[in-house]
Amino acid sequence: MAPARRTGQRVERSTLPNGLTVLSVPDPTATLVAVAVVYDVGFRTEPEGRTGFAHLFEHMMFQGSANVGKVEHIKLVESAGGLMNGTTFSEVTSYYEALPPSGLELALFLEADRMGSLAITEENLRNQVDVVKEEIRLNVLNRPYGGFPWILLPALAFDSYANSHNGYGDFSHLEHATVQDCNDFYHKYYSPSNAVLTVVGAVDPDQVTALAQRYFGAIKQRRTPKRVPSGEPPLKADRHRTVKDLMAPQPAVAVGYRSPDPVADLDRYLASCVLASLLTDGDGSRLRSRLVHRDQLVTDIGCLIGTFGSDTFYVRDPTLFQVIFHHPGVAPTEAVLRVIDEEVDRLALLGPTSEELRRVIATSTADLWRSLGSVLERARVIGSIEVVHRSGELLFELADRMQEVTGPDVAAAAADLRGQHRAVLEIQPGGS
Amino acid sequence: MAQAPSRPAIAKVTAPKRPNVVEQDLGGGLHALCVRQAALPLVEFRLAVPLAVPQIKKPASLAVLSESVMAGTEHESRLSLAQAVGGLGGHLGGYVDEDRFVLTGSVLAQNLAPFLDLVADVVSAANYPAAEVRADRGRVADEISITLSLPDVIARQALRRRLFGGHPYATEIPSPAAVRQVSASELRLLHPVLFDEGPAHLVLVGDVQPARATAMAGKALGRWIEGRTAGSRDLPPVRAPRTGPVELVGRPSSVQSNIRLGGSLPSQSSGDWPAASLALGIFGGMFSSRLILNLRERNGYTYSPRSVARHARAGSTLAIVADVATAVVAPALVEIRYELGKLVTAGITDEELELARHHAIGRFSFETATQPGLATALLDLAVNGAGPGYLSSYPKSVIALKKDDVQEAAKRYFAPSGLVTVVIGDPEVVAGSLSSLDDVVVREL
Repeated sequence: MAPARRTGQRVERSTLPNGLTVLSVPDPTATLVAVAVVYDVGFRTEPEGRTGFAHLFEHMMFQGSANVGKVEHIKLVESAGGLMNGTTFSEVTSYYEALPPSGLELALFLEADRMGSLAITEENLRNQVDVVKEEIRLNVLNRPYGGFPWILLPALAFDSYANSHNGYGDFSHLEHATVQDCNDFYHKYYSPSNAVLTVVGAVDPDQVTALAQRYFGAIKQRRTPKRVPSGEPPLKADRHRTVKDLMAPQPAVAVGYRSPDPVADLDRYLASCVLASLLTDGDGSRLRSRLVHRDQLVTDIGCLIGTFGSDTFYVRDPTLFQVIFHHPGVAPTEAVLRVIDEEVDRLALLGPTSEELRRVIATSTADLWRSLGSVLERARVIGSIEVVHRSGELLFELADRMQEVTGPDVAAAAADLRGQHRAVLEIQPGGS
Repeated sequence: MAQAPSRPAIAKVTAPKRPNVVEQDLGGGLHALCVRQAALPLVEFRLAVPLAVPQIKKPASLAVLSESVMAGTEHESRLSLAQAVGGLGGHLGGYVDEDRFVLTGSVLAQNLAPFLDLVADVVSAANYPAAEVRADRGRVADEISITLSLPDVIARQALRRRLFGGHPYATEIPSPAAVRQVSASELRLLHPVLFDEGPAHLVLVGDVQPARATAMAGKALGRWIEGRTAGSRDLPPVRAPRTGPVELVGRPSSVQSNIRLGGSLPSQSSGDWPAASLALGIFGGMFSSRLILNLRERNGYTYSPRSVARHARAGSTLAIVADVATAVVAPALVEIRYELGKLVTAGITDEELELARHHAIGRFSFETATQPGLATALLDLAVNGAGPGYLSSYPKSVIALKKDDVQEAAKRYFAPSGLVTVVIGDPEVVAGSLSSLDDVVVREL
């Protein structure tokens, strides 16, 4: 049975005179309200010699503004029964909170205060540089497979600074960050016209528009930064790099291909998403059933599109189609790559069966809905998609668009992968 | 120039509306909880069986079983089963933790009936094909070798040993070698012991009519229910840990050290829990807690220090977590102990009490607002014994708490003298500074 279509998730939009885009997404079933402010800035935008700056700056947004002291933002949200966080991706940086409906005005006040008048001190900057260094030790330096593959693969698969540098940043760059750097970055990228405010949940759109005008309307308009496209041509030859990891017990491999353009060529991009699901979603998929269960060459295998996979629908320019696996080292990596090639060739030649396609689309549709369960995630994702596609509504259209993907579309996506040179990044365990 | 409006007042947080939980005894020891939550056209599914002591002590068998339970049935191969679940827009898989085995999944609401038929096939006719089990155990062993290389896992294991001593909860993640010994015939014997005896808990949350969905489950699982025998699965209670020196687990070349302190907490069915949960929030359970303001925002020692509660059937425990720069491990431990001592001796402020109260209710509302969040919360409440009434009693109790209640709970559960401490780190770098602070025993990894 085909999955039912769900309507009723409407997106109401308005734009303030200072350029801020305001989206409201009323949900009558929600008991909470979520507010997300997404800025059009991320690792790809940070200056050379300042790797990791976009993420460090995200930390500084919690360190105080004209009317809100250091950490007071968080204290106020928690006092109102809310939760909050911030995240930095290659294209977008988002700040978001979920609260009981009575906390909506407070959330808008807090977001407006830091958009309009951030207050950065030397002491707070040094403190957060220390915190970010511990975050990097925790997630990268003190654990096996740290930064695999999100830092390591782009460094091999791309050439430009924008696409290939480490988004967490080098310690030396972080240590040299100054208050002046922060103020310049803030002035350039944190203007209302470079941001999207999204409110989701138990709200009335008219009220949201009025409150947005009330709290954000006084923020002065600034120049919207010009976006520099960062797409790169296809690789001219295969690339291979081996990285030793003293802490890793097993080899791990990430294979990177160029995806279609996520914005200009969304239909082909969606066919690639369906291809990724056919290859590795669930034990019924082509590569898991063969490589994990039948041939037992790998411990685990998965595909993702984007830098992290969570960002599939808010990246710009041809990004990475990644195949990632861990294997016990019994057979060489090349043996696994041969099987992947064989299965992708088979799909390119024959396409998926209609039953297989129907199944994968049912799973992908259900997974898409699953990801929308939390109002907080929904607000963050709609705002991020709006920044990249200028259409937050697209989130609710993706399920239908995916159902239009045909067997020949998937075969073409498979043929496209096989026609490319690729980047293979290998983690070699142990100290040998 | 237009002036920005001043800060809006903070509204009083009220208890969330209680979901309408439909309970039904389906016979054979199977207890069902179902809630209509129609935000998305999906249903979340959970089926848990509490483990008995002898099963808890066989972690290698359980680890392979949680993978091989989906390896095929008398009617389906692994592949056809996976394809059938996928075709319904579903997921289904098993996992095991310290005291329960859980089948967990989700499906498009319109496909709930065929999904439950597949679940019934798995629980009553999983047949553990020998070749599949051989492959699974190798893969599980490989996955465990990766798990055991993670500092956070090493720290959790070390803390668990210190907290639980001779209790079954001290049972560790099995070694890859033990996992490689597990046989298909052993799993075929273990399966009915797990599934066909003792209590079992079913939870369905989603776009369903509860009475209909529960009847559907009763029908689909009928044959399995008929063959079940109810009964109890008691565990010895968890006792307060034996305190002692700081245990330093050596992890050479670590560039960060993992500090863990642990102790006892009241269970969710205890009258002490609401007050203890606010003390937990004030100490390290909120972002604006004392621990985070000190270690992170004042000192920059660590990224995500926190205190967390873990509820299990035999008792609840506290863990205080801080992954800190190696150079500051001793100063960070001093600050943690200082904050504990201050909480216990100097009490809390009115402002902190209100902040923690609002945060506790808000977080509880947030966690139970989604289908998977509510399903997992209901399952845990059922298995641990607090029951679904907790969904309304907890926020009500939190609203009624007085400052003295929270201070009393803080004294009872957060006194530094009652907590155990473990540190994972490079002994050559951190043993000296830790020894100047306290007695230290060093253990090999």
